[in-house]
Amino acid sequence: MSRISRQFVALIAVALILALGATLNVTGPSAFAEDSVSKSPQVAANSPKPAADHEIAGILPAPLPTRDVSDRIDALIDADLKAGKITPASRTTDEDFLRRVTFDLAGTTPEPNVVSLFGLDPDAAKRSKTIDRLLESADYARNWSQYWREVLYSRATDPRSRISQKQFETWMEQNFAENRGWNKIATDLLTATGDVQETGATALFFAHQGDPEEVASEASRIFLGIQIQCAACHDHPTDKWKREQFHELAAFFPRVALRRDQNAGPLSFRVVSIDAGPGAGRFGEPGAIAREPEKFIKQVDKNNDSKITLDEVRNDQGRRLFTALMERADANKDGALTAAELKAMPIPEQQGRGSLEHYMPNLEDPGDRGKKMDPAFFVSNVKANAGMKDMDRRELAAKLFTSTSNEWFAKAFVNRIWSEMLGEGFFMPIDDLGPERKPNSPEVLNLLSRQFAAHEYDIKWLFRTIANTHAYQRSVRAKLPTETAPTFAAAVPTRLRSDQLYDALTSVLGIGDLGGNRPPQRGAGAGQRVDNSPRGQFNALFGFDPSTPQDEITGTVPQVLFFMNSPLLQSLTRGTGQTRLARILQDFSNDDDALTELYLLVLSRQPSDKELKICHKFLGSAPNRQEGFEDLMWSLLNSSEFLTKR
Amino acid sequence: MNLFHHQAINLSRNGLTRRSFLHAVSASAIAAGTLSFRDVISLRADELRKQGMSMILLYMQGGPSQFETFDPKPGLDTGGPTKAITTATPGIEIAEGWSNIAQQMKDVALIRSLNNKEGNHQRALYQMHTGYVPSGSVKHPSLGSAIAKEIGDPAQDLPAVVSVGRTVGAGFLGVDYEPFAVQNPGQIPQNVTPLIESSRFNRRLGVLNELEQDFAERGGETVVANHQRLYEKTRKLVQSPQVKTFDLASEPQALRDRYGDTQFGKGCLLARRLVEAGVTFVEVTLGNWDTHDDNFNRCKTLSEQCDPGFAALVADLKDRGRLDKTLVLWVGEFGRTPRINPRTGRDHYPRVFNAAIAGGGVKGGQVIGASTKDGMAVERDPVSVADLFTTVCKSLQVDPRKENMSPIGRPLKIVDGGQPVEKLFG
Repeated sequence: MSRISRQFVALIAVALILALGATLNVTGPSAFAEDSVSKSPQVAANSPKPAADHEIAGILPAPLPTRDVSDRIDALIDADLKAGKITPASRTTDEDFLRRVTFDLAGTTPEPNVVSLFGLDPDAAKRSKTIDRLLESADYARNWSQYWREVLYSRATDPRSRISQKQFETWMEQNFAENRGWNKIATDLLTATGDVQETGATALFFAHQGDPEEVASEASRIFLGIQIQCAACHDHPTDKWKREQFHELAAFFPRVALRRDQNAGPLSFRVVSIDAGPGAGRFGEPGAIAREPEKFIKQVDKNNDSKITLDEVRNDQGRRLFTALMERADANKDGALTAAELKAMPIPEQQGRGSLEHYMPNLEDPGDRGKKMDPAFFVSNVKANAGMKDMDRRELAAKLFTSTSNEWFAKAFVNRIWSEMLGEGFFMPIDDLGPERKPNSPEVLNLLSRQFAAHEYDIKWLFRTIANTHAYQRSVRAKLPTETAPTFAAAVPTRLRSDQLYDALTSVLGIGDLGGNRPPQRGAGAGQRVDNSPRGQFNALFGFDPSTPQDEITGTVPQVLFFMNSPLLQSLTRGTGQTRLARILQDFSNDDDALTELYLLVLSRQPSDKELKICHKFLGSAPNRQEGFEDLMWSLLNSSEFLTKR
Repeated sequence: MNLFHHQAINLSRNGLTRRSFLHAVSASAIAAGTLSFRDVISLRADELRKQGMSMILLYMQGGPSQFETFDPKPGLDTGGPTKAITTATPGIEIAEGWSNIAQQMKDVALIRSLNNKEGNHQRALYQMHTGYVPSGSVKHPSLGSAIAKEIGDPAQDLPAVVSVGRTVGAGFLGVDYEPFAVQNPGQIPQNVTPLIESSRFNRRLGVLNELEQDFAERGGETVVANHQRLYEKTRKLVQSPQVKTFDLASEPQALRDRYGDTQFGKGCLLARRLVEAGVTFVEVTLGNWDTHDDNFNRCKTLSEQCDPGFAALVADLKDRGRLDKTLVLWVGEFGRTPRINPRTGRDHYPRVFNAAIAGGGVKGGQVIGASTKDGMAVERDPVSVADLFTTVCKSLQVDPRKENMSPIGRPLKIVDGGQPVEKLFG
């Protein structure tokens, strides 16, 4: 509440000045352009060699086709393995490959008949063709939009932002379907404005109420994989980042604000720029009017009576804001503001927040507003000036983040996707990179990220290239004692994300949605919206932050209880009626055939001989065939394999 | 050592005496061969005392009005029409509608000088559960989870943290301390009861274990091992005789009536049963305190649900000799404005609000701090959220400065800053 009003005072000041037509000595610096730094006089490249950017950008390799890059990656990994005397795991079976790649690209499990046909297909290029087919499917765009929804909202500091999840997902789905470059998507996320329920790209700012420090932290973590927020209060303990550098990054975002739309519904918000003009003047900061009331009045006072009234304000916006200023400052209620009244106006409690500039807090003296920071980008050391317009700052930030000369932008994305697909990353955790960290197989990471940049951050190209490597297509196996770090000698099983599991489960059960049977959850109270759709409820139970290291995702007791005892699953796995199990039991009177069908249905593979033996023995001891099969289906759904991408 | 540890915990939970404790550990102490009985006792004495402790958080979601609960201002504009009533402790008056808790005032202390900066529900709720303001970079554990990690019993069948209603989770402390949510107090929680007879249930688990072996051998070893541990933990809960703790039917009708036939009343009774059964932390939520309109009628309705449950809980714990070992805290995310708005409501007000606290070594019948006469600000002895949390830690004998390591290697204290309110333990 008080935050809004603080920002409001700032806005009033800016708008008043605009409305009054005050001439301000602030030129909006033009955006940083990679090939024309000199065009922007206010942006001084602070590095000793200003042209370094272009040199690096200039030596970006020529884009190579997928096959070439996949082969080079395998050659590099094979050489590493040979040097480490590690024999790679064998090529995965067709069944395992199909299940793995279908989960990775399309977010669900393949249908049993697709598994069978794939195995029978003699085409030597069938794996590559399947990769291409899945990348063109609608499920690909849906799957990855769901992934990014979880990445972005799992760390939201404003839970109300959950109301815009659907819109964000839809927007991401379009991006993936159109295969827009990752740089374009990132730019949109960093420069978005507008209604949060209409513009999906506002998600990053909504999720953190437009707070400059939170936005800077998350932008750095998500787009660069660098956890610079550790430097918010002190220099980074393990990396070279300085405290100033974090706050210089935050200084790109002080003028973004989240505004409630009073005229619309209770949860209508907009992400807005709070300078709305050629620049903010000296009164653009909260408290500034109260500090120099005479000067402020002089700017507005047309009739020179040392008071300012509504008549002296030019346009509608100015008048609206002036009225608000009156409410706060007009002590004697005479409809005019004097210097004394402005001086006595309540000053915002927390200096710095809601300000037009970012201030690095003074740790010694919490009462002090701190040091005003000029925006600067810690990676390339490009500096800009405070006073810039919001959109200029954010566009500059987007350029700097996504520049091909910024290696971390490509590396963070490549590391994340590689890790998601192979189960282990070059850097781990996947969002903790940096120049002083030692990645695994650095040559592979460099090759892949430079090619990714050379392909203009073509996301499908990246998926296709990784999926076509031998490294991706190896079977899982237990870690060798010599493998202390990831070697990519074998695939590593990973836990399915909630959406993937939901789609797998509904597909296995042959239903569109896990409806009914579960009571709607009570809302968490004021302002919080709970997604009560069956998928939303399932995600509330099974969801996790995809940036979490795999070994920390261990499942929960209520998740187990759901698979173990829920009446819903109990009824959908009955051996009678219209269930898929009932159909299998009807269609296949031979137990071997029925078991094979069941395994294909639930785990997308045929049972091993050993498993068949266990199942036969179990069926022999069961009271009847139906009950025996129900128990086996329960076991397969409750197995760790069902929850795992193998 | 681990063996001792577990035994010590189990024994203390079962309320055995020091003598029987000695007797029970003797065999393993001798087997270990390094510690004398006296060493074991002195090493574990502190541990033992802690192990019996538990906490019940009565969380008033939405931000309860201090004027209509424990800091009334009758006769003042800001106080509205709410009258004050006397309590069992001479000199302490609270708002009308709280006559049951008034009778328990000798065991309840009030804090009237709580203050904070967060006026946003979600942020303040997060802070009032974790002690930290939300941050994108780390999911802080709720205090309940942090406490359970320190003093909970890992061998317990029931979850260490139970919440009646939704709450903030264990954050980076992980699954062992994740609150187990109960939607309908009085009923066995969702999916806990198998729908098939136990012989078939066991058969299923048996064949599941056998069938898992193949995947374990094919490279899923770790995944399968983790999965089986979690299934074993869940099976223990499902088949534990302690599941009946969730069922209130065995409680005498008269007692159930005292708690009240409401969600909140049943939640309070369940909380008492759970801490008796060994659960470390129970949260019971009562929502709807966000009284931007019709504040006075709505507060009356809410007090009718809250007062009997809260009062019966304190009295019942005392009757059963568990109050000393159970800290009960009544609090919401902030208070309400002294100004009554045109819709007869009160808006968010973190600058001064109140809490009630009982048991766990807290001396009742006293008031900590005060708001100014008009209720606009803290008059004396301000208590911050960090102070309150440090006080909770002191009561439960948990070191508030103990650091847990976040996933990216940043050590975080259970509570950062704050001083315990020493007068509470006077």
